[in-house]
Amino acid sequence: MRKYFFAFRKEWLLLIRDKAGLALLFVMPMSLIIISSLMQEYGWSSVTKEPTVEVLYVDNDRDSLGIQIHDGLLKSQSFIVIDSLNGKPVTELVAKTAVTTGKYMIAIIIPEDATKTLRLNVRLMVAKTLAGFGLSNMSILNNIHPKDSVNISIYFDPTVKRAFKSALISAIKSNNYRTETEMVFRTFNQEIALQMPMFKPPNVAYKEALQFKEYFPSYRTIDKIPNSVQHNVPAWTIFAMFFIVIPLTQSLIKEREEGSLFRLLTLPVNYMKLLMAKVGVYLIVCVIQTGLMLLTGVFLIPFFNLPMLDLGQEYLALTLMTVIVAMASVGFGLMVGTIAKTHQQAAAFGSIAVIILAAMGGLWVPLYLMPPIMRQISEISPMNWAITGYYNIFLRGGSVIHILPEVFRLFLFFLGTVIITAVYRRFKSPLNQ
Amino acid sequence: MAEKPIIEIRDLSKTYKGGDVPAIKSVSLEIYPNEIFGLLGPNGAGKTTTISILCGLLHPSQGDVYIDGLNILSDLNQIKQIIGVVPQDIALYPTLTARENLTFFGNMYGLSGKNLRNRIMEYMEIFSLEKYANRILSKFSGGMKRRVNLIAGLLHKPKILFLDEPTVGIDVQSRIVILNYLKEINKKGTTIIYTSHYMEEAEHLCSRVAIMDRGTIISEGKPKELVAEHPEFKNLENIFIHLTGKELRD
Repeated sequence: MRKYFFAFRKEWLLLIRDKAGLALLFVMPMSLIIISSLMQEYGWSSVTKEPTVEVLYVDNDRDSLGIQIHDGLLKSQSFIVIDSLNGKPVTELVAKTAVTTGKYMIAIIIPEDATKTLRLNVRLMVAKTLAGFGLSNMSILNNIHPKDSVNISIYFDPTVKRAFKSALISAIKSNNYRTETEMVFRTFNQEIALQMPMFKPPNVAYKEALQFKEYFPSYRTIDKIPNSVQHNVPAWTIFAMFFIVIPLTQSLIKEREEGSLFRLLTLPVNYMKLLMAKVGVYLIVCVIQTGLMLLTGVFLIPFFNLPMLDLGQEYLALTLMTVIVAMASVGFGLMVGTIAKTHQQAAAFGSIAVIILAAMGGLWVPLYLMPPIMRQISEISPMNWAITGYYNIFLRGGSVIHILPEVFRLFLFFLGTVIITAVYRRFKSPLNQ
Repeated sequence: MAEKPIIEIRDLSKTYKGGDVPAIKSVSLEIYPNEIFGLLGPNGAGKTTTISILCGLLHPSQGDVYIDGLNILSDLNQIKQIIGVVPQDIALYPTLTARENLTFFGNMYGLSGKNLRNRIMEYMEIFSLEKYANRILSKFSGGMKRRVNLIAGLLHKPKILFLDEPTVGIDVQSRIVILNYLKEINKKGTTIIYTSHYMEEAEHLCSRVAIMDRGTIISEGKPKELVAEHPEFKNLENIFIHLTGKELRD
């Protein structure tokens, strides 16, 4: 144990002597978090928080349907509705030109007399229905002729995503159904009152029977909505932790190339013990790095008009998760540094492998956006286990018990990398590399 | 010599993986306590491979090696306690100070505390480095680095010291200090196994030499005896050239 401590001290000294390298190890990941959070804030907020898509709205109807759709879009909180430009109401021509030139992405045109048409169609339908019960209103049946459906025109910029199109059309349809239903309800009341004056129809207001309430299930009673920061901080923290592969492999290969490994192997101490001292030091680096990145999320990120990272209350789980991810990262670096023959090999393989594992693990693109085959493949990425663990803590209020499956997998990964390193060392002399 | 050899090499061969020619083949040697044994030979002769096997860094493909009665394969940990190694390269950490480097290597041999501190300073004084103990190694001259490299192999006062080209590329002053100190510790009982390209140096320093070429030992004996055996040559260097030829080696 004493020799481990002495080797640890040597590794620590080697690390802190490279002040520029050390600064990069901490500063670069912090910058990465801020930049990534800013970049992804738009995408996340569009599905989780504030309206971001501007919609030009031309209301030629100026009646119930036009007003109802306008208000409905506003209420949905998914769109910014613009009905006037430069102080003038938007016309169809202006709207169409604005979309054609790419100034706006979407324009909605509610045609003239849309409500009137809808109303006449409803009255005719109600009259026909009541006639079946012997309550015929001949003035309606004889004087109103069925009209075509109301055509609402929507202009889309070609780059508008299908998800936005669906969301918009769905919002318009929903408001149209409401207007139409209210109209049918009211017309029935009026016609019955007209045909059967001895009865006074009850004054019942239309009320939607179906209501939706959103929940984000969690292990504790919390109401936390995912945002870019809650995703980006743990995601890029994991990414940075795994990038420890670069300095760690450099340290291992430098030792080999500078000749100190020759002497180390002649020392009366197990070489794996010396490697474990290196693991210990880089483990501390990873944990400090994580601490700084989490603090960036809490204290620095809000200065960039981004939401503050909510660390939750499960600090024990957070510490355990961080240590185990750090172990997995350092184990990976140790394995790559041992097997790689040159700096170039280690740097190329190490960095590309980290990028592939990050992409597979859902650090860049959320898993639900991936094809099914990728979702299955992602389950073998240690970064996927890591991000799942952090999500469990940050978004679902999970405690130690809720992250145990991820902790167990990551520990096995660490163990695997150390065993591969030890076996490789045993059967292949480093001097032959 | 009736004395029991401190190093016994029997029929030692080593072929590197993927290599078609053995680096050393059927080498047998006996080195006795208190000897300064010179392993001489041109580039690629097999000197470094032999030393690497003796230090436990490489596994032999064939043959047996005993050091102080211990088998190199089964008793390696015990052997590592009694040997000191001074590699040809500066096997130290350039970003650490001389003291930090020596402290680490001393620690690995089980030395620590005041005993280690005193020993480091003692050696630093012997090699005129005491003023530079706290200087980063990368700021040292080539000769100074060689001296620290040597101290790192001497700190634990090994019974057997392996030196691979310890004086290569250094100034005359540093060379004299190093060679004088090697003679001194040899007198006190340290067996030294030494490789070099400097024949004159080997002739003056070594009590016995073996000349290797193409993986085998082609001549062995005391330098004076070898010169006496070949009266047509004036010194060891001429004998060496005679035995190994003038052909350039890779």
